[in-house]
Amino acid sequence: MADLTRAPAARLSRRGSESAPLREFLMFVVGGELFGIELTGIKEILSPPPITPVPRSSREVLGVCSVRGLLVTVLCLRRKLRLSETSNSRRSRILLTTSESGESVGLLVDEVRQVVRLQASEIEAAASTLGSDASEHVVGVARPPGSFVVLLDLRSILPS
Amino acid sequence: MPEITDKAREEFFSEAQEIIETLSRNLLALDTAQKSGKEDPSLINEAFRAVHTLKGLAGLFGAVRLGAFSHRLEDLLDDLRLGRMDLRPEVLDVLFSTVDAYGRILTIEKEGRDEDLPSVDDLFRRLDKLGAAVERSASPVGGYELDPGMLAVLTEYEEHRLRSNIEQNLLLYRLRVQFDLSTIDKALDDMKERAKRHGEIITYLPTGEATGVDAIELDLLLASRDDLATLIGSLGADNIVIEEIPRRRRSVPPSVVPLRGSVAGAMSPKQEFDRLAEAAAGEVAPSLRSLTQTVRVDIRKLDHLMNIVGELSIVRSSLSRIAERLRGEGSRQLATELMRLHRNFDRRLGEMQDGILEVRMVPLGQVFDRLARVVRQISRDLGKEIRLVITGAETEIDKLIVEELSDPLMHMIRNAIDHGIESAERRAEVGKPLAGTIALNAFQKGNHVMIEVEDDGRGIDEEALIEKAVESGKIARHEASELVRDEILALIFVPGLSTREQVDDLSGRGVGMDIVKTNINKLGGVIDVHSETGIGTKMAITLPITLAIVSALLVRVHSQVFAIPLSTVSEALSFDPSQVRRVENREVITVRGSSLPICDLGRLLGLPEPIEDRRRRFVVVAALGSRRLGLVVDHLFGQEDIVIKPLGSSLSRVRGFAGATELGDQRVGLVLDSGAVIEEVLSGAEGPRERPSLLHG
Repeated sequence: MADLTRAPAARLSRRGSESAPLREFLMFVVGGELFGIELTGIKEILSPPPITPVPRSSREVLGVCSVRGLLVTVLCLRRKLRLSETSNSRRSRILLTTSESGESVGLLVDEVRQVVRLQASEIEAAASTLGSDASEHVVGVARPPGSFVVLLDLRSILPS
Repeated sequence: MPEITDKAREEFFSEAQEIIETLSRNLLALDTAQKSGKEDPSLINEAFRAVHTLKGLAGLFGAVRLGAFSHRLEDLLDDLRLGRMDLRPEVLDVLFSTVDAYGRILTIEKEGRDEDLPSVDDLFRRLDKLGAAVERSASPVGGYELDPGMLAVLTEYEEHRLRSNIEQNLLLYRLRVQFDLSTIDKALDDMKERAKRHGEIITYLPTGEATGVDAIELDLLLASRDDLATLIGSLGADNIVIEEIPRRRRSVPPSVVPLRGSVAGAMSPKQEFDRLAEAAAGEVAPSLRSLTQTVRVDIRKLDHLMNIVGELSIVRSSLSRIAERLRGEGSRQLATELMRLHRNFDRRLGEMQDGILEVRMVPLGQVFDRLARVVRQISRDLGKEIRLVITGAETEIDKLIVEELSDPLMHMIRNAIDHGIESAERRAEVGKPLAGTIALNAFQKGNHVMIEVEDDGRGIDEEALIEKAVESGKIARHEASELVRDEILALIFVPGLSTREQVDDLSGRGVGMDIVKTNINKLGGVIDVHSETGIGTKMAITLPITLAIVSALLVRVHSQVFAIPLSTVSEALSFDPSQVRRVENREVITVRGSSLPICDLGRLLGLPEPIEDRRRRFVVVAALGSRRLGLVVDHLFGQEDIVIKPLGSSLSRVRGFAGATELGDQRVGLVLDSGAVIEEVLSGAEGPRERPSLLHG
């Protein structure tokens, strides 16, 4: 993920050369917008189990849940990115990840789409595509055919 | 040592650590024996064996420094063991410093660093100096009619024991015993056990006499105070002939008796050790046996097992639900059978849980031993004579808690010696014994372990404490005059307060007690202070026995289920809102004539307001140490055993929860940290300052 942040931003090329390494990003919807996180950081995609709120925790912490005996801290990505509130639906999913400190963290998203493969040259620097709140977590944007996806830096989203 | 795996290295370090702890215990026992004027050769022997093993291990793992140091120490212990050197206080001092030196060496070996350790080098020099001073006394062994054949095969150690017994004017006996070959192991052990009551067995040897096909004859050399008649009365049997070995009439030149190893500073005693191990099988065997029957287990594996037990208990509750449903649907026969199965499962699961918990338990003696060393060190450094009295070292507590306890206890003991115990002159003036006493008491009390650190020193100077608190701006002058006793004493836990005038190495930096308190709280414990001016100070720590699994009371607050560890619950009552009074801005109710501060848990935790009006509510009385608080909840579900899992690191700063637990049907419940809640509410973080007078009625 670190090399991703350092990747030189370039204009999107039509079809990148086949030899360049491809990166896989999981695309998902949060607050009506399309985001992507590099697939290597995501261990599992779950239907949300019952989540127990943790009083006195910060607003973006939805609570804790148990995944086969593993205690997971669930963050609301919508709140983390300060996007407009939408209600949870049948399509909501939790992306299971592990923070650098070893904590199991689940990210609640509104809907999971597909995986896209991107070449480094297809990732553009994010100028001011988003409000300043989310930009600290953004590593770039990409325009796969017919869509516009904001690529997030998983490490900056997860609690350190 | 590239081919040595990390795991093996890990094992090596933990084993080395254990051996060093054993060594430390031996030294303390030696110290005690020394002070009471007793001689116990087995203690020096054990220390020698510990160091010898360590040397071997070090060689195996290429830990050069550890090996070299052990080798030098082994020589010293060998000199002591063989009586070439007396166990003088300064020798004991050097021995004690080796334990710390080992700690340092181990740390750098573990991290693979290569740096200078001046303190260890210095110790090396002290060891050398002691070694050079070794001298030997003339042997009195020649004064007995001992069989030269027997003397010739005595090991150096046995010779030393023989000499030392003769010097004490004991009588020597030869026990000629016939053993049946098929039962000799046990019979010999029995024999030795019985003979031990009368004295010391110096050696035993086969006589080589033809006695029969299935028998073997041994000569045992016994040194004893008892006379022949007593021995025959006690040990006599058909297969035993007991004879006293008479003293010689005329003196024989000592050269007749081949004494080996008579050169000062003998060579490495390795071969000798091997012989000793063989010959003194009775002594060595038990420790070898215990080694093979012990397994070292990573505590995480136990945690894992405990988690499985926790998950099985969820299965168990599902079983009982299914049984209930079957009953409801009319399948009584099946329901009964399932219930029986469930009860059986329940019982076994309980046994398994207890079994795992038992494995996690270690005696507090482990940490007390380390503290005893600290006491010795500090009392030397400060020139104060301290008598350490330990009781309840056998009290068992969760391994994880023991690990976390040593630093807080160390701080408390330092404080007690440094701040509490007066100088000898001062003690003489007020008529106290010159040596200060520090008592370290442990005992179990229900589901808790209490540890008390008590000194007979000057007590806490309340005036000075208040003055310091006002000076440093921790409290306002007008507040100070309103403080009650407990509140004043509680000031010692305020960060940055120290009553010592000058800052020193030990405890005068004012960073001690607040950290102690935080650490104890983290373990789910509380600490209370009692102090009497001129008489002494007592700090009492109350700790849960284990962190792994707890019985908890499940309650509902608004729409959320919480678990309250039962060990902190003293009772649960019906809540009558009309009973609530406001005293000093705090809500209290009266329970059996005493006032009890209460706290609406939903409000404290900031839970969303409930929609329905709650008619019947409850008060759960949480108690820790001497503090009590009533928690107002909406519903009581009952008691359940829960496995507490820590909240993720990002939630570690959220106050009030000890962790979370699975409640079955995939749900998670938060476990309340009663200690933290009591602390928060009663220490006024949430409301005005507590009035302890109201608290205890």
